[in-house]
Formats: sequence, C-alpha cells, structure tokens
Amino acid sequence: MPTLETKNLTHIFPDGTIAIQNISLQVKPGEFLIIAGANGSGKTVLIRHLNGLFTPTKGTVLLDGKAITANIVEARKKIGLVFQDSDSQIVGQTVAEDVAFGPENLKLPPHEIDTITKRVLEITNLTALSTQNPHVLSGGQKRKLAIAGVLAMRPEIILFDEPFTGLDYPGVISILKQIINLHKTGHTIILVTHELEKVLAHADRLAILHKGQLMEIGTPKEVILHSKHYGIRMPLKNNEEIHLMTWLE
Amino acid sequence: MAGITFFHYIHKNTILHKMDCRLKLLCLILLSLSAGFATKWLHYFVIICIITLAIIIARLPIAALLKDMKFFAIIILIVFISNAFTIPGEQIPNFPISNVSIQGITAGLRFAGRLIIILMICTAITGTTSLMALKNAIEWLLRPIPFIPEVRIATIINLTFVLIPLIFDNYVEIISAQKSRCIQLNKNPIRRIRLITLPLLSQSLRRADEIAYAMESRCYSETRSSYIHKTNKIDWIILGTCLMILIFALFL
Repeated sequence: MPTLETKNLTHIFPDGTIAIQNISLQVKPGEFLIIAGANGSGKTVLIRHLNGLFTPTKGTVLLDGKAITANIVEARKKIGLVFQDSDSQIVGQTVAEDVAFGPENLKLPPHEIDTITKRVLEITNLTALSTQNPHVLSGGQKRKLAIAGVLAMRPEIILFDEPFTGLDYPGVISILKQIINLHKTGHTIILVTHELEKVLAHADRLAILHKGQLMEIGTPKEVILHSKHYGIRMPLKNNEEIHLMTWLE
Repeated sequence: MAGITFFHYIHKNTILHKMDCRLKLLCLILLSLSAGFATKWLHYFVIICIITLAIIIARLPIAALLKDMKFFAIIILIVFISNAFTIPGEQIPNFPISNVSIQGITAGLRFAGRLIIILMICTAITGTTSLMALKNAIEWLLRPIPFIPEVRIATIINLTFVLIPLIFDNYVEIISAQKSRCIQLNKNPIRRIRLITLPLLSQSLRRADEIAYAMESRCYSETRSSYIHKTNKIDWIILGTCLMILIFALFL
C-alpha cells in the first residue's frame, strides 16, 4: 500500500494558469523519489499539495489511504516540508528556539520539547550553534536548521524543495549526507530538483514534470534517457552508470 | 544590522540572563519610574551606578555599547541644548552666550540623565532577554486582560523582529543592484524612492507569505505548549533592589 498518493491532482490559479494537471503518483514507504522538472513545471505547487498547504482544484492527496484534509495536523506531523528558501522557514530568534517551534505547536510538554530539540540539534550537528541567531548562519547551516526544524516534528515522510539551491560544494555534500542518512533511517524522501547530477545516484525512482504534467516516472535508469526532452540537463556521460555519479566519497 | 550591539540579545550565562522575564519587565518599570522621580544628583548617580553594575554582571560588551551610543548622543545633546536655552532663570556670570540660564542647564542635564538611564535600562533588558522569553512574558502579562488575543500579539511581535533584519538585507541588496545600474544618475528623488520601495514592498509581502506557509506547514496554531515561568531567590532580590531604588528616589 502506498504511504502517499495523489489522484488526478490539478491546481489552477485564480488567473486561469494551470500549475499542475491530472497528476497521479504513488510513493511507497521508505522510498526515495526525485521529482525533476524545468523552471515553472509545477514542482513547488505539487510538493505544497503533498503537505496540504494548497487546496486542489480537482483530485486528492491521500496519506495511508485517507485524504490528508481529513486530519491536516496529523498529516503535517507525518509529512515534513523543507522549503527552498530557508530564511522563510526560520522563525526562531536562536537556532534552538527555531527547532522547538514545531514541537511547541504540537503542544508537547516542555521537558519533551527540550529533549527533542537537543536530539535533533545533535543529529544535524548544530549543537554548537544552538544559541546563535539564525540570521547570521551560512547558507548551508540555515538549510540544516530548516531540516532540523522539520525533524523535530518526527515526520515519516520528508519533502525537500530544491535543497541544493545556492549552496557551495561543502554545503551540498553536507545536506546530501543528511538526506541520505534520513533515508537510511527509514524516512520516505521526496525531493524536488532540477540538479539531478547531485542526487540521482541515491534515488529509487525519478519522476519528470513538464508544463504541469507528469511525463515520466520509473527507475532513474529508464527515465534519465528522456530528461533532455523536458529541459533537464542529462547528468550522465556516455555509458556511465548512475550509481557512479554520486558526489560522496 | 548584525554589526549593531544596541538593543540586541547577547547570549551569556549570567544571573541576569537567567532571570525570570516577567520580573525583569517589572524591574524595567520600577527603574524607569525611579529615573522619572529622581530630583537630586545623588539619585541619578546611584541609579546609573546600579545599572552599570547590572551591565557589568551581565557581561555585555561595554565598549561596543558606548560606540553605538553615538546614534543617541545627538538626541541627548538636542534635549540638553533646548532645555538650556528655553528655561528662564539666573544668567551665568561672564558666560559669552546670553539666554543660557543656570536653571536651564540644570534641567537639561536632568533630562539628559533620564534619557541616558532609560537607554541603559533598555540595553540591560534587551541584551539579557531573548525575544522568545520577552514574547512569553508579554503573553503571560496580557493573559488576564479580556478580549486581548495575547498569543497573536506575542507572535506578531516575534515575527516583526524576525522580519526586520530580512527586510534590511533586502533593502541593501536592492540598493546595491540599482547602484550597479547607475541609479545615482537619476536625479528625480520621487522616481528613485519608487524604484526602491516597490520591489522592497513586493519582496517583503512575498516573504511574509512564505513565512506564513512555513508556519502552517509546521502546524502553527494559537494553542501551543505554554511556557513554564520559574523564579528564584536571586530574581526576587533583584526586584527588591529596584523597589528600594524607587523608594530612595521618591522619599530620600
């Protein structure tokens, strides 16, 4: 049974622009799915639907077989979203305060919030920065903090919207390691990107969005060959194996 | 923004940083009243000494704070001069400028003293209190007042402080981008203001929208875990000291 599913998901903006159209996809528990597409292909709109932030014009999003709108708080607890712009996601005055924001919303008791915050800061290697003002962190550290804020909600599924945008090489490596560790610890990962070369080697499946429609979905090996038709750079050289493309040592 | 120390929280592990924020706000009120009621030079001297001691105990960077004081020095100077020139009284013998009275100078020094004391109190409070603690204390203090959405007000205060540095960064970015395209050659000030304001406003609104989505995504609602306020003996001693200062300024 899929953990997350969309059925004929369509979103039309008030001005008539069709952002996504009839998207039906299924995500299995523990899967690592990449959704790729050129700018304006509808990736961000789709990922926000998966978190219940947008109301579909048509179609539904199902979590464990039930519409996510049935219990939106429970759905958002289970499905964490890491936004593309980390600055927009950070609301705390210190790193620790920002991590605690989600558990406070879930009305957890203070001692539990404290324990979760400490554990998440440790997992994301941010303990040393816990009293820092998030505004002065580097791009990579801010992205880590955004991930920490989501992890504090203890989600089963984590959505990443363009997680490598604006990061330098060490920043990409650090975030990539974090994502792979989360996948290894059993989280379902759905990652939206157009920079396939950075992460494709670690994915189970690849989906391609083009002008709001789901054009291809399958194993990276099957789908990647058609990527250039949809404005996505082919990340492989001739006959190169996908798993050798990893940025990690 | 990041370079200014004034009115910024500086994380340290001191008794003032650990003090219950509700009592800290009461101390702020008591010391401000003391400054208002102070009539003798001894009052000013004692209040300034006590607050300086608090700043030293809180291990706030005194040199950096004094440097940032220059922003307020002009205001303090204007207050002093306007008092010195406008309050009638006995002329100072052999003083080259007329219209300056002894009473005017005394009143000017008193007003300037009060301003300095209030700035010092605010520095000590904001430097030792995180915005989250301040938010929780405001929320607690507003709770008994009917028809006041205390959680919403506290969140608005928090988000305002989160957005200010981001808006400032945006402003610097827009100015730099426009300078790189020779905006200075455009002599029409209204057009220049419009060229800065419109993108800044549009970016700030977009940012506010994104923050709202991000908060919603992390299950934000107005019923959240409530903060447990704790006081200790030292907090009450500090509050008692502030009360003694007020009594001293009022009656001695």
